[in-house]
Amino acid sequence: MKANRETKRLFVGGLGQSISEVDLQNQFSRFGEVSDVEIITRKDDQGNPQKVFAYINIRVAESDLRKCMSVLNNTKWKGGTLQIQIAKESFLHRLAREREEAQANNEKSVMSNTNLLEKMGMMDFHMKAVPGTEVPGHKNWVVSKFGRILPVLHLKNQHKRKISFVFLKPRPLFCSLTYGNIKYDPSKYCHNLKKIGEDFTNAIPISNLTWELEGGNDPMSKKRQGKFADIFSPPKKIIKMQKNQSSSLSLTMRPRPSRVKMETPHFPQQQITQEMPSDPVTLKSPRVPDSERQKLKSVFFQTSGLENTGNKNSMSKNDIDSEDELMIAREENLERTTWSSINEYDSFEIVRDDFKSDVHKLCSLTDLGNKNNVSFDSEDNVGDDSDDDSGDADDTAVNKNVGKIKKSTEFSQMEKSVCKKSSPKNRKKCELSDHCTKVQKSKTNEELAISHGGKSLSNSSSSEDAASQSESAESEVGDYNAMMDNCLQVTLSLADLGHLAGSDLKAPKDPESHGWETTSQCDRASKSHGTSVGRHRSRQCIYPEEIVASLLEEENALGKQKPKENNLKLKFQAFRGVGCLYGKQPVRKSLEENIASSNVHKNEHSLKLEDPTSMSMEKGCPNRNGSSSKLTPFQGSKKADDPNCIQPQNRQFTCKTQNHKVRSPSGSEEGSRNPISNLLPLKDNAVRLGAETSGRGFDEDSGHETTKTGEDSEKSSDLTSHVVPEYSPEVSRMNTHGSKPDFPLSLNSPPDVSAKDKHAEDNQKRLSALEARQKAKEIQKKLVHNALANLDGPPEDKPTHIIFGSDSEIETEETSILEQSQLGEKPIKEFLSRASGILFGSSEEESDPEEDRNRFRIKPQFEGRAGQKLMNLQSRFGTDDRFRMDSRFLESDSEEEREEVNEKKTEKEELAAEKLKALNIVQSILQTNLSNSASKGSVAAKKFKDIIHYDPTRHDHANYEKKRDDKPKESKAKRKKKREEAEKLPTVSKEMYYNITTDLKEIFQTTKDNSEQKDVPHVDCEEEKAKEGHVSAAPVTGAEQPSGFTFSFFDSDTKDVKEETYAVEIVKSGKTAWHVAPRFQDSSSEEEDVTEETDDRKSSLGEVSLPAKETTRFFFFSNSDERLLGSDLFWRGMGSNISRNSWEARTNNLRMDCRKKHKDAKRRVKPK
Amino acid sequence: MRPLTEEETRVMFEKIAKYIGENLQLLVDRPDGTYCFRLHNDRVYYVSEKILKLAANISGDKLVSLGTCFGKFTKTHKFRLHITALDYLAPYAKYKVWIKPGAEQSFLYGNHVLKSGLGRITENTSQYQGVVVYSMADIPLGFGVAAKSTQDCRRVDPMAIVVFHQADIGEYVRHEETLT
Repeated sequence: MKANRETKRLFVGGLGQSISEVDLQNQFSRFGEVSDVEIITRKDDQGNPQKVFAYINIRVAESDLRKCMSVLNNTKWKGGTLQIQIAKESFLHRLAREREEAQANNEKSVMSNTNLLEKMGMMDFHMKAVPGTEVPGHKNWVVSKFGRILPVLHLKNQHKRKISFVFLKPRPLFCSLTYGNIKYDPSKYCHNLKKIGEDFTNAIPISNLTWELEGGNDPMSKKRQGKFADIFSPPKKIIKMQKNQSSSLSLTMRPRPSRVKMETPHFPQQQITQEMPSDPVTLKSPRVPDSERQKLKSVFFQTSGLENTGNKNSMSKNDIDSEDELMIAREENLERTTWSSINEYDSFEIVRDDFKSDVHKLCSLTDLGNKNNVSFDSEDNVGDDSDDDSGDADDTAVNKNVGKIKKSTEFSQMEKSVCKKSSPKNRKKCELSDHCTKVQKSKTNEELAISHGGKSLSNSSSSEDAASQSESAESEVGDYNAMMDNCLQVTLSLADLGHLAGSDLKAPKDPESHGWETTSQCDRASKSHGTSVGRHRSRQCIYPEEIVASLLEEENALGKQKPKENNLKLKFQAFRGVGCLYGKQPVRKSLEENIASSNVHKNEHSLKLEDPTSMSMEKGCPNRNGSSSKLTPFQGSKKADDPNCIQPQNRQFTCKTQNHKVRSPSGSEEGSRNPISNLLPLKDNAVRLGAETSGRGFDEDSGHETTKTGEDSEKSSDLTSHVVPEYSPEVSRMNTHGSKPDFPLSLNSPPDVSAKDKHAEDNQKRLSALEARQKAKEIQKKLVHNALANLDGPPEDKPTHIIFGSDSEIETEETSILEQSQLGEKPIKEFLSRASGILFGSSEEESDPEEDRNRFRIKPQFEGRAGQKLMNLQSRFGTDDRFRMDSRFLESDSEEEREEVNEKKTEKEELAAEKLKALNIVQSILQTNLSNSASKGSVAAKKFKDIIHYDPTRHDHANYEKKRDDKPKESKAKRKKKREEAEKLPTVSKEMYYNITTDLKEIFQTTKDNSEQKDVPHVDCEEEKAKEGHVSAAPVTGAEQPSGFTFSFFDSDTKDVKEETYAVEIVKSGKTAWHVAPRFQDSSSEEEDVTEETDDRKSSLGEVSLPAKETTRFFFFSNSDERLLGSDLFWRGMGSNISRNSWEARTNNLRMDCRKKHKDAKRRVKPK
Repeated sequence: MRPLTEEETRVMFEKIAKYIGENLQLLVDRPDGTYCFRLHNDRVYYVSEKILKLAANISGDKLVSLGTCFGKFTKTHKFRLHITALDYLAPYAKYKVWIKPGAEQSFLYGNHVLKSGLGRITENTSQYQGVVVYSMADIPLGFGVAAKSTQDCRRVDPMAIVVFHQADIGEYVRHEETLT
């Protein structure tokens, strides 16, 4: 029994409060040994016991337990209902028991594993545990699946959530993150863990991990990478520029690359035009960029010229990196320039790219030997071509870049010239600013800089306008005028500059150059032509200056000539001084300034002087056309500007041989331009020389002939020798002209680019105006002529009026004269006048009826508008013969009136002309042919006609009937088929048909209209118009009949048809009959053919009609035979029905086939 | 009021030709009457001959508008198309863009058309080609300029601009005072 007994824990609920443990023990001891009794009392808030229950540990047998349960359960005991249940093991007991068990297990496992451990050696133990169980004795170590033991790490992350990193014992690293309080059991998730790497030693540092996805260069991938290149790149640039200490330079740098990029392609016009607006910086801050551009230009030139590899490298980078280097390079260049100015001989190689002034010097130096110049030219050419002479061979790309840059710079210069044109002030200002910057860098002339700065400030407002204008490349006449107004100011500023420069002149490092300058000035003053090399050089350097000076002088002459001469001289000095001080760049710029001013002057003068300039302009324009076919020279000023911008590029990129010629004439015509071109190292030396020569020659000839200069320039494009002789005379002229008022004119003739364009425009306008005037004159002449022609009649009559002899003549004359008065006045007056006019009234009665008739007829004199006016005039003077008016009095008026009439007429014409013009423009834009449009228009018109609703009752719709005629023509095919079929049929039937028809016709003719109505059904329903034709034709045929031949209805019918189709043509029946006769005899089959022909081609009607007549003649029956009356219906029906049916069937088949084929073809075409 | 100069005509035609190409001829050379362009207050009007005659009776300073305004010349003498020209240009448009209903409103408020709103586009549309913008119901909504060619449109991401806004019929409300 005892063996069966087990200690059980019983729950006893529903106890009374008074029950004690002893009671319980006693109560339960009946069933077994009660070892422990625990009474638990549950109390509410107030402490009142609510529940009392107890746990009893009892050692009891199963049966006893059951007995106990059954006896005591639900029994009332001491005030409570007992509820007895088996309770769970007490946790304490359980704990104890579990520990015991665990210990037992441990011992067991140890015992069992010892073997394994011994085998493995390495491992401490291996647990055969369910995954997830803790490793005993090790906190936070769990057994994972596959029996591996994993540590659990608890880490706190920023969000105060737990991150558990689980590291497997074996090397592989597992990283897994768990958030929140959830306990992460690595054993359950170990499958999710991934092996990152075997080696920690080789592990890449985090910084090197790939944080971006690598993609292509396409914008999408870039965006994914967080690069918004399009948006952000410009700001970056700006920032970098700002980094550069010379912000202005950097600013300029930025536009440049873009420009270069723009120009790298083949430089189509559009790009160039677009290019200007594409520079946002220039737009926003036009002033700085311009100046910068110039500087850059110079820098580039120098770098290219120097061919220093370092510089070139910097150039090659061509980007932000190179900016600093460029700065350095520029400084170097400055030094260089100074150095070059000192050592002019050394600068030979350098010069070519450096800039023009050097070239000039060299040219002057090599005046004696032309060869040197040539070689120089070749070098320049090479430079332009961006090929390496010195064999740097660093990068051809670099060189190209340089070349491009040069070009771009040149282009910019051209642009500047344009700007100058539009607003010379701005340009000047830019240049001034350049000067300022350079001065500051060289730190020699501070005063100048200050003065320039002030000027620039003053000019700043205008610069913006200039920029905008340059951007739009539109320089209007208004602007031009404005420029003109500004000219004076500009000159003044120049003068100031000159003063300043003069003051600074003493500072220059180059005494020699200074001396030369002074000497040159002296020479000028003394009008002695210096042949010495040095002098030449100086002159060349000064040359544009001289022009400017002359221009200035000229302008001064307009205002005050003499006082400013001094200023001018000072200016020269100043310019030269600047040049010496700052190397050739400054000189060049000063020259440019001069040019600008000269341009301005020229513009002014060009306006004043129409004829010579216009001639030159005309010449220039064709030349330009030759150079660039794209450019239409005679367009608006706007366009003209564009060409200017583009032209230089074109020249550069197009054949240089062309360039020479083109440029030289242009240069000659545009005096200012030549200097510019000269200054630009980019251009070929040869070209330059030519330009110079042309310019000089022009200067020479300008006084005499402008046109000649162009020719000269062309001739002397390559000749440097020309330069010398021309040069000296020019100088002399300059000197002479200083005092002369004529000189300005000559100088004016060389206009700058803008001037040229404007001149071209002006000239064109003038020419057109002249033409218009001539035309008007011609018209007037014509009018006069006409008027006189009208006059001729009456005046001739007048003399007759006095003659007494012939009554009739007098009568008519009289009446004509009198009628003038009659129309205006009363018959009485007329009578009086007549009486006065005619001495012998005997013939009056005879002529009266005629007179009366004529009286109300308007006289030829009074016909028309002019006549009316005349009449009015006449009425003013009454009937007095002495004041008889004739058209002579009206001449002027009549003209006016005619003009009025013309105007009225022209209103529509104008519209038409406008339309035409518009169409022309459209075609030019669309680049389609004129004829195209015309044809289109006509097509449209035709289409439109088609839409018109045809009303057969309307006569004016008769012209639309032509198309109806087409239908029978269309039926040609039908007819042919018909014919073919008919051929099968007995020919007789056809003959019969025709005969019958003829008879029918007769019937119609005899029976009047009713028969016609009868006839209508016979006629093809398609030919409704035929009806009308019949009606009209019937009488005609009737008339013909008597003339001779009997003739068939068919004949007349065909004729009718013809008349319908060609309303104009009237066919004579007799004629046709005569012709037809022979043909008809041939055969019946031919007859058919003929008839068909008649149907098919109406033109052959005559022939057709004849056979019918013949038939009538030849056959037994005359057309009037009564036996045949009414038979026509029968025959006709038969033949026509058969043929028609067959024809219809065929046509249908054909149509179907045709459609099919068409569809097939379409299908075939579509997939392609 | 005056006829356009050749230069103006050229500028204007060039602009219009961007949208309708050679169909421009049909505007100039109309079979149903004479139509011409007139400049008034820097605006270009497309006027029938008849109306032109009538308008000639009104002094220039009193004349507000005549015919249909096609656009205006800016101070820089560029031609800007007005939405009022839509009725004349839409039928002849060579390159069209249809926008989805969801993007319609955005466009009509003056915004560019994003690729997400692009419903359909004429093939072979080149970049910067003038296009007429239609709703999916084929109602012309305005003018635009293709920011991307048709091919590029396929590749570009959905938020990229496909058509630059030029003019839309919303301007009838928004710019009522300037549309004459």
